[in-house]
Order: sequence, then structure tokens, then C-alpha cells
Amino acid sequence: MVIQIVLLGGLVLFSAAAILFRDLLKAAISLAFASLFLGILFFLMKAPYVGAFEISVVAGLITVLFIVTIALTKMEGNVRESRAALWIFPIFFALFLIIDIAVMKSLVGKIPAVESAPESGTFGQALWGLRTFDLVGQIGVILAGVFAVLALFRKRRKDE
Amino acid sequence: MAFWFIALPLVVAGLLPLVGKVSKKVLPDILTNLVFVVLLAMAVSQGRGLIAQGPAVFDLSWFGEPLNASLTMDAFSLLMLATISLVSLLISLFSIDYMDHYGSKATFYALFLIMVAGMNGLVLVTDLFQIYLFLEVAAVASYALVAYGLEHDELEASFKYLMLSAAASAFILLSIAVLFGLTGSLSFAGVAAGLKTLEAKFAVGLCSAFFILGFGLKAALVPFHAWLPDAHPSAPAPISAALSGLLIKVSGVYALTRVFISVFGLTPVLSTVLMYLGVISMVVAALLALGQKDFKRMLAYSSISQVGYIVLGIGLGTPLGILGGLFHLVNHALAKSLLFLNSGSVQMSTGTRNLQEMGGLGKRMPVTAGTTIVGSLAIAGVPPLNGFWSKLIIILALVQAGQWAFALVAVLASVLTLWYYLLIQRQAFFGKLNEKWASVREAPFWMTASTVVLALLCVALGIFFSLTVKSWIEPAADALASGVRAVLAGLGMINFVI
Amino acid sequence: MNSAWFLYIGFAAALVFIGLYGLLAMRNLIKLFIGIEVLSKGVSLALVATGFAKSHLLIAQAITVTFIVVEVSVVATALAIIINIYRQTGSLDIRRLTKLKG
Repeated sequence: MVIQIVLLGGLVLFSAAAILFRDLLKAAISLAFASLFLGILFFLMKAPYVGAFEISVVAGLITVLFIVTIALTKMEGNVRESRAALWIFPIFFALFLIIDIAVMKSLVGKIPAVESAPESGTFGQALWGLRTFDLVGQIGVILAGVFAVLALFRKRRKDE
Repeated sequence: MAFWFIALPLVVAGLLPLVGKVSKKVLPDILTNLVFVVLLAMAVSQGRGLIAQGPAVFDLSWFGEPLNASLTMDAFSLLMLATISLVSLLISLFSIDYMDHYGSKATFYALFLIMVAGMNGLVLVTDLFQIYLFLEVAAVASYALVAYGLEHDELEASFKYLMLSAAASAFILLSIAVLFGLTGSLSFAGVAAGLKTLEAKFAVGLCSAFFILGFGLKAALVPFHAWLPDAHPSAPAPISAALSGLLIKVSGVYALTRVFISVFGLTPVLSTVLMYLGVISMVVAALLALGQKDFKRMLAYSSISQVGYIVLGIGLGTPLGILGGLFHLVNHALAKSLLFLNSGSVQMSTGTRNLQEMGGLGKRMPVTAGTTIVGSLAIAGVPPLNGFWSKLIIILALVQAGQWAFALVAVLASVLTLWYYLLIQRQAFFGKLNEKWASVREAPFWMTASTVVLALLCVALGIFFSLTVKSWIEPAADALASGVRAVLAGLGMINFVI
Repeated sequence: MNSAWFLYIGFAAALVFIGLYGLLAMRNLIKLFIGIEVLSKGVSLALVATGFAKSHLLIAQAITVTFIVVEVSVVATALAIIINIYRQTGSLDIRRLTKLKG
């Protein structure tokens, strides 16, 4: 349990850092580390497939996309974040954590759940067999993303 | 068969870039509009036969091998499919002329088709996660479509829309996670059955709140409406029409209704919350619409207001209320699309959306002026147009259920709506012709043709309202109302006024 | 639901809070979007933790993988919009984007 809590703590820490860092590049790297911690956590939760996916896609692909964007907007893209926002954050966060822990503690054992039968099969069977139609949705959303990027980066002729 | 509603637009969208290389405008035009004609024909001709015996379940199979995937079409889904196909067809006809000067027409059509595929998927699935998934498909397409013109306003509006919409989607998914945890299932039936056996008031309340937050933002209910008055005016006119006329209703109202009625059941608490949200949206948005100088912005606020009517009717929960709400959903889809398309015609001819700069356009653009009058009166609820009947039914339902205060507010909001619509008519189309517009011409053929068809539909649905209601709206309302009754009976609260 | 679930959900809630804070308090467009990313992490954690608590890990993983695919599309679209905004206005400050007033 200890190592899970350490990982969770790291996850939250790096996520907060990703929000609070002034330098965008450091923020993107923090986000990547947060994804890494989340991925390892997933492995420890016996969810290796999503762990691998999280690390390769979120810590990998999405971080690359962020870094490319930061590079393309680096020159004059420096925006002064409000100082106040950075200093107020710990106070609000601490407050939130207190409420969070209190709520969670009080809810333990109070949320009923239907007994579930143990799962059988493999991940492949679950994805292709049980959640087959999700794949159509995935195709749709991938097409949407591809066409969105194509539309947003299209060449405009001067007379348009 | 239902699968084609999702597959056909997706496949054509995938092919469009190749088609676009061969023929930049003509072939994409023809192909896209053909898709919608086919979908509309399917919905109208085959749909009703299929659902005559109750909801039709389509188990999908891959070349004979059954897949673990099924789509369910009941009268409510069919009504949505028909509306989506009809309005999308007319919007894409309009786009033939309007999108000429935006460039990359094939990409535009592809995104539009994907958005429609997402909407169609949303109304056909019976699984909570798949509702989220297809909602996202339509949403991602819409982000790009709002920003399509790549001007400052459009990009700004699209970015704000994206941020708020993504946050809303996150909350929807959180709620789904909790429900999954409670019941171990993601399908409507599974979750509903599981919840019946559990005593989980807090968790269910939390999930309902998250769903209202998430779907309410997609439907642009006050106070979650902030993105709409920026996004809908800035987007290209056909997209404004698609968003106001279809997307906020499918991903907002339909999803909200389906999830709450099929999974949670419309409890009295929920009904009250929805009714208040509806009435607040109705009034606040109508007031905000009054002060607008931008034609499209006023229309956007009007959309929020009319969605308030729809949610009020459905939230009431009585069969008559649901009937009125659904009828108004269809009517508003037709009339609001008409108005937004016309605003596009005006913008294309005069280059402005500012009402104070227009004036006397009726003389130069008679068809646009005429159809705008029809659309405005339809939304304002003037007989014998369609909007009158749907609003009347909602008000009658409120009275019947003893909700006099709500009914009165609804009537007053109607009067307000009529007032601001007549104002813009006067400002834009009547009065003295501003010399700037002396040489303005009527909009090109496809743009006027599609708006004329929409106007005729508003009139036809109004005159033949009893036929429309009986054959299309009533089965849909019954499908929902029986769900409401079943749940209430289970809770022992059957003496809801029928 | 066993107590481990509450632990994970507690942390997921913290992530959601951080993400929302980012959305409300940050000015740089890219930072705002990082807020959405943190929000997404919270959601994936909640999904997998729920699967873990109910021994439904296979379905939970399938769902979460699909969710990550959706996330990639949203990221690509958002970053494309941000790059376009930068090209148009030369700035990534949300305060410059006040032409529209909601």
C-alpha cells in the first residue's frame, strides 16, 4: 500500500507542478512525469494494458504534441501568470484536501455496490468482444481529430 | 440497418479527401447531400415499420459472425434520427453555395458528416459509455467546425467552447465511473436494475448532479450557457444552424433525457430541478436576447431560451409535457436552423451581422425576409405555425399538472420572444433601405431553396400538427413516458397527474 | 466498496481539483489546456480504480484505453486551435481574447 500512496502523491505533486510552473517546457515535462507515475500505478493495480497505453500515449505522444506546440509558439508566447494565483493555490489545495479526506473517510462503507462476478477472459476479449462497438466510436473520434487538424492547418488562398 | 446511420456518414467522410482531390466542389457536394437523402429516406420510410412492435434491437454482425454490439431504435431515437437527417440535408444544401469561399470544401463536408455520425450514434446506443463516446465524436468535429473560418473571433469562440465542453465531458465520465462502480454494468438496463437494488441516495445524487452539470453544459442551460453566445455567432452560418438546431439538442437534451429516464427514473426532485433550470434559461436568455445588436448573437440567446422550454416540458414528466417538449425540440430545430441560415445569407450579401447597420433589406432580399418572418413567428409561437402548437402543449401540460406559476412565466417569456423577434424583423428587413445595400442581391439558389423548404416545413407542421403529433411525436413521447411511469410505479408514486 | 477505492477516488478528486484550478486561474492558453489534461488524468484514475475495486479490470481498461484515444483527438484539435490563435494574434494570453463577451 505504501508504494501506491507514494506514487499517488507523486502523481498529484507533478500535476500541480505542471499547472504552477511558469516555464511551459518544465510544465510539459512535469505532466509527462505525472503520466509516468500514473502508468506505473496502473501496472501495480494489475492493469498492465492501460498502464502501457498511458505511458506510451499520454506520457509519450501527448507530451510530444505539447512540446511541438510550445516550440511553435515560443518566441512571443510568454504570458505572465498572475503571482496571486500561484501563492493562493497551496491554501485552496490544502483546504480541498482536508474536505476531501474528511468526505472520503466518512463515506467508507457507506457506498453500497452490487456484488460482481469475477471476470473471465483476456483484455483482448474484453475490448474486441464485450466493447466491440466502442471501436466504431474510436474510428469516428480519430477521423474527427485528423480532419480537425487538416481543416485547421489548411492552406488559405489569398482570395478566400 | 440502423448501423448505416453511423457507418454511412463515417465511410463517406473517410473517402472525401480522395474525392476532393479529384473534384474540389461538385463531387463532394453531390456525395454529401446524397448521404443525407439516403439517411432521411431510411428514417422516414423504414423506421416506423420497424418500431411498430416496440423498440427495435439491431444486433450487429460481421459477415455472419455475431458481434457483441447492438443498437436500439425506439420511437424517440427514430424521431431524433429523422430530425437530424432532415435538418442536416437542408444545411448541407445551403452549404453548397455558402461554403464556397471558405476553402477545402471536402474537409468541411467530412467534418460535418462525422458530426452527424456522432449524433446518430448517440441516439442509437444503450450504453452509458457509448453515449459519452459518440458525444465526443460529434464534439471534436464541432470544435473544428466552429473554428473553420480561421478568423480571430472563430478561433477564440472555439477555444472557449472546447475548454468548457472538455470539462463537462470529464464530469460526465466521472459520473459514469461511479455508476460503474455501484452496479458493475454500463448498459442502461444493467445500471437501472443495479440501482433498484441498492440504497445509494448520496452516490446517485452525486451522479445526477454531475450529469446535469455535464449534459446541461452541452445543452447550454443557464448557468452553463456561457460558451454558446460566442460559439454560435462566430461559426460559419451552416454550422451555427447545425449546432443550435441539432447538436445542443442531441448531445444535451436527448442525452440528459435518455440517461435520466432510462437509468435513474424521473423522480420528483429531479423533475423540479429540471423545471427550474428550464424556466431560468427561458427567462434569462430571453432578457439577454433583447439587448443584442448582433443578429446571430440574438439568435444564440434565443436558442438557450427555447432549450429552456424543451427542458421545462420534458422535466415536467407528464406525458403531455414530454409531448410538448419533444414537439418543440423538432420545431425549434427547423425554425432555428432556418433563421441561422438566413443570417448567413444576410451576412454573405451585406458583410455584416450588426442589426443597426441593416435596414430595408426586405426590398432587395425578399425571399430571405419572407422566410425569416416565418422562422421568427414559428419560434415566437404564433398560430398556425408549428411553434405555437408545441408551446401551447407545454403550457397546457403545466396547467394540467397544477404548475400555474411556471405556466404564467412560460406565457410571458413567449410574449418577450415575440417582441424581440419582431424588433429584429423591423430593424433588418423593413424600414428605409440603407443606401449601402442598394445593390445587394438575393442569396444564391441553394441557399434560398433550403431556407424556403425549412419555412414550408414550419408552416406544414403547424397546419398539419395533429398528423405530425400523432404519427411521430406521440410514439416518441409514449416511449419516454412509459419509462417514467414504470420507474415511478416502482417507487410507489403513481398518482402523478396523467 | 472497499477502502482502497476511496483512497484512489480521493486522489482522483484532488486531480480534478487541480485541473479545475488550472482552468480558472491560469492565463496562458497552453496552461489552460494542461488543466484539462490533469482533469483527464483524474478521470482515468477514477475509471481504473473503480475497475480495480470491483475486479472488473478488463472492462475498465478497455474503457480507459478508449478514453485516452478520445483524449488524443481532443489534444490534437485544441493544440491546432492554439497554434492558429498564436499565428493570428501573436499572443497566448487569454486576456487578449476578450472580443467576445459571452
